[in-house]
Amino acid sequence: MRLGARLFLFLIAAAGPVLLVLLPLSGFVLNSFYSMNGSEIVRGFSAGNYAEFANNKAYVGVLWHTIWLCGRVALICLLLAYPLAWYVWQQPEAKRFPLLLVIILPLFMSYIVKLFTMRSLLAVTGLMNELLLDAGFLAKPTTAFMFNENAILLTMVAMYLPFVFLPIYLALERIPESLVQASADLGGTQATTFRHVVWPLSVPGVISGAIFAFVLSLGDYVTPQMVGGPNGFTFGRVIFSQFGAAYNWPLGAALAVVLVIVSGAAILSAGLVSKKGEA
Amino acid sequence: MRSSGGEKFVYGLCAVLFALTVLVLYAPILVNALLSVVPRKAGSLHWAEAGGGAYLELFGNVDLMQSLFASVIVAVSASVLSSVIAVVMALYLDSRFAFGRRAIETLIYLPFIMPSMITGLALLIYFTALKVPLSLATVTLGHTIFVLAIAYRLTSVRLTNLSPSLREASMDLGANGWQTFRHIIFPHLQPAILSGVLFAAAISIDETLITLFLSGDRMTLPIRLWSMLRVGFTQEINALVTLVIAGTLVVALFGLRVWKKDGKLEF
Repeated sequence: MRLGARLFLFLIAAAGPVLLVLLPLSGFVLNSFYSMNGSEIVRGFSAGNYAEFANNKAYVGVLWHTIWLCGRVALICLLLAYPLAWYVWQQPEAKRFPLLLVIILPLFMSYIVKLFTMRSLLAVTGLMNELLLDAGFLAKPTTAFMFNENAILLTMVAMYLPFVFLPIYLALERIPESLVQASADLGGTQATTFRHVVWPLSVPGVISGAIFAFVLSLGDYVTPQMVGGPNGFTFGRVIFSQFGAAYNWPLGAALAVVLVIVSGAAILSAGLVSKKGEA
Repeated sequence: MRSSGGEKFVYGLCAVLFALTVLVLYAPILVNALLSVVPRKAGSLHWAEAGGGAYLELFGNVDLMQSLFASVIVAVSASVLSSVIAVVMALYLDSRFAFGRRAIETLIYLPFIMPSMITGLALLIYFTALKVPLSLATVTLGHTIFVLAIAYRLTSVRLTNLSPSLREASMDLGANGWQTFRHIIFPHLQPAILSGVLFAAAISIDETLITLFLSGDRMTLPIRLWSMLRVGFTQEINALVTLVIAGTLVVALFGLRVWKKDGKLEF
């Protein structure tokens, strides 16, 4: 094929990704260097928004707090998802796929409805309190889970658990049966086989699962708003408010660039750890 | 394999954990189905007044029906559009004339890897700069590039599994490029395309984090639910939500079955 024709095909194929991904992303990074004058966006190059972020203890504090929150979400998801994935993997082959479906189907259940459900279950006048009071487990309604960080943590774990389960399960399923059998034949108990064969081979799945949970919760600005109340101020919410009530798009864009850098760093470092494990 | 008492205990513990997890994961549909038939007033359930009335009244609620309709239109357009683009991209990047394979693939995957709010706000800034008014069309474009990663991944994995000799045989027998596509490549890709469309539709109908930036004053169903969440859901909404979740689960389940039949679980 002639070079001209090849270039023509390239232009057609690249048009979508360039027009709808590359240009918007570049535009948004460019916007982060603009500034506000009253309610007008000024198109002049300045690093003022980044300086404001770095010098304002409130922004930096919220960022660290959000990273800490999302780290805990990822950790709790791992502690729950690993035994679940291991349990499904231990089942006879015919039962595995149905059980896998049972865990990952809720991914397709409405996000907002999950939030509504958590609110109705956890609220002071919620269903959980009602049931526990009726059953006599509680003397008075508990407020431990409403409009605070526990509620955000719990809701995000319930929301993102299937994303962590899936890569761990797929990693377990890739372990050749013969390796597990060889270990057993050589006298290994299930515990030693797990420690020396199964666990090391499942680490890549564990890492991708943790990254899924971390990045998803980092970018989730609705959950903290809906179940966290005034205490649930996360970095994502700060960004979103710049595009709403606070109305400062350039600052919002700069904070979003920071968010991209944090999630990118998490993804890249996880990739490096995974690679090192393989070598 | 030998198993001791300790191992049986661990296994039992995992089984209990599994059951509890399923209960929590399915709470959304269970709670909504319950509330759609049993009215809840002043913080307690009124079992005596249980009934299916909310399901009938639901269809008279114009606002709710309009946003459901908007969501369905967006989901259908975004899933069809993304799978067409996915097939074209997969075929192009698989061909020997392709340039910049890695760069283009990175662009396709980026919106899926980054936090969704980034895609949402980047497109908001972009459309505003181009003076494109926010509408269901902008929402559809946002959803399309978000689900494109899935549709493309499924299609391109499937395409690389197609033995080159089949294509060569078809060409040797005198078929032209279109005939080879029509009779060899497309039938081979079909399951991947179908599961891609189904996943894309199931994700789009529920997409919130990108849509909040792009919807303007046209509300899709998740946005309407979001705006009503502060006040609380009425019984009609519980009923609608129960139906929509059930429908989405059926679509997703169908997609997962097609995907599984397609071969190994790979992504």
